[in-house]
Amino acid sequence: TLRLIYTTTAVQRKNVGASGPEKYTEAFIKKQIEEFNLGKRHLANMMGEDPETFTQEDIDRAIAYLFPSGLFDKQARPIMKHPSEIFPEQRKIQWGEDGRPFHFLFYTGKQSYYSLMHETYEKLLNVQKYQDQLPAQDLPPQKEKKNLAGSRWLTKIELEEMLLEKLSDNDYLRFIQLLQKLMTLPCGDMEEKYIQKFTKEVPAQLQKVVIEPLKYDERGVAFSTSEGIRKTAKATATVYDNGTGKITVNGIDVLHYFPVLQDREQLLFPFQFLDRVGKHDMICTVSGGGRSAQAGAIRLASAKALRSFVTEKEVEFMRQAGLLTIDPRVKERKKPGQEGARRKFTWKKR
Amino acid sequence: MAAPSAAGLRRRLQAWLPRLTQVRWSRYNPSFLEPEVNKELYQKPLEELSEEEKEKLELKAVQPIKAAPPSVSCSVFSDPMISKFTNMMMKNGNKVLARSLMAQTLEAIKRKQLEKYHKAPEDEKEAIECNPYVIFHQALKNCQPIIGLSSITRGGKTYQVPVPLKDNRKRFLAMKWLITECRENKNRRTLMPEKLSQELLQAFNNEGPIIKKKHVLHKTAEANRAYAHFRWW
Repeated sequence: TLRLIYTTTAVQRKNVGASGPEKYTEAFIKKQIEEFNLGKRHLANMMGEDPETFTQEDIDRAIAYLFPSGLFDKQARPIMKHPSEIFPEQRKIQWGEDGRPFHFLFYTGKQSYYSLMHETYEKLLNVQKYQDQLPAQDLPPQKEKKNLAGSRWLTKIELEEMLLEKLSDNDYLRFIQLLQKLMTLPCGDMEEKYIQKFTKEVPAQLQKVVIEPLKYDERGVAFSTSEGIRKTAKATATVYDNGTGKITVNGIDVLHYFPVLQDREQLLFPFQFLDRVGKHDMICTVSGGGRSAQAGAIRLASAKALRSFVTEKEVEFMRQAGLLTIDPRVKERKKPGQEGARRKFTWKKR
Repeated sequence: MAAPSAAGLRRRLQAWLPRLTQVRWSRYNPSFLEPEVNKELYQKPLEELSEEEKEKLELKAVQPIKAAPPSVSCSVFSDPMISKFTNMMMKNGNKVLARSLMAQTLEAIKRKQLEKYHKAPEDEKEAIECNPYVIFHQALKNCQPIIGLSSITRGGKTYQVPVPLKDNRKRFLAMKWLITECRENKNRRTLMPEKLSQELLQAFNNEGPIIKKKHVLHKTAEANRAYAHFRWW
């Protein structure tokens, strides 16, 4: 079973869809949509662009030009978006004029969740009945677990948005377990379309990043530059080919700049991983942070620079060794009422 | 003056308690996986991998991976046990000092073993272990207790109940005993590396105060065998 141990601040977002029946009537929202479309055409006219092909990005740029704002909070600046993004989707009123609810599961409190579970379980029973009918040989073979790589289940937040209802962690886990059970049945292919509604595509990580080609300087030596950050330290590294393994940091030799062995180990880590210890020269500049943060920043910068020298497979190996990820850990802020980020004041009984 | 009623106080306390928030969280998204630093695993050709490993590789290709921490490196000299031990020896975040002490300890072990090696007769030379890393690992393994005691309170009295220990807990106890032993029971003039190397060599040969402590723990666990039924996990 899964157990949610860590969460991010995204979890603490309010689920507006589940807060109650709609505050805005349908007619009101329709009017807003009409006004938005009209305003879009007017804006296109004002900017001298074609009203038919005026996209949301163009609208954002036009508003930023016409209403320049120096406010820091991006959400406080003037925005012009489609009403469906501004007015969150909310449940319509679920009972008629006589007070009688429309849905038969209304009094459970979470009607859409329970009706979803009901539907999924019905499909499961149907598949099992169909399976029992077939003689043993006709069962389709165990299909490969295609869902492991390339797609994932909807998260709890996404499911809440879909159902417009608040869910608890246990509810979500039960639903995912049901879907997994449905998927593992041999005849589960019948319900694939239904299951696909609750899955999302996960693109392979490497496709997002473009590896730059090598550049050549006056002597004909290949080199490549890139940057790296860690905590508050920023570093730029240039890795030259046909070198002797010399490393220069801010004009100073690495032995003088990093007297501690651990930092020098970190600098050598990418080269050692690729077995290219004495083959490259490196010149880097670094600023900010402390000694360990600077070492980590240079490590990231050199790993990124080495990507251009190396095959795609080795780049994937470097990523799986954790050399190409920016370390997001930064100093946690001190909170009021506490002495530090986590340390509380001494508790005195009286 | 009469004390305020218990129910009223409780209601007021309930209203004041803030909504609980998550305390143990990390800067990484929960979908991030741990990095694998050992480069030999990556150099194995595809055909030699078993089915499971191929599946794991495919999975890993789609998942994001956390950054490697600064204490870890793919060189032969970085050992997770030694890093853990160095961190436990560290005081006030002075990693430089802890690491230098560790290096001096390993050097001292090597020197002592080499002295023994050169003095020993021909037939005993092979039996003497000179690699300080091997000695360190073996010494720690010898110090690990198999069973531990946990205090459980029943009916007002606290009993020491014998309890099986997890691997992490065993390693932690062994390292903790080593360090406390070296910090407390030494002469003021001896330095930490010297004392540590002494203790490690003694533990390697299954003698010394830490092994004695482990045996004492085992004996008390055996003596309290009657309370073993108090354990519910």
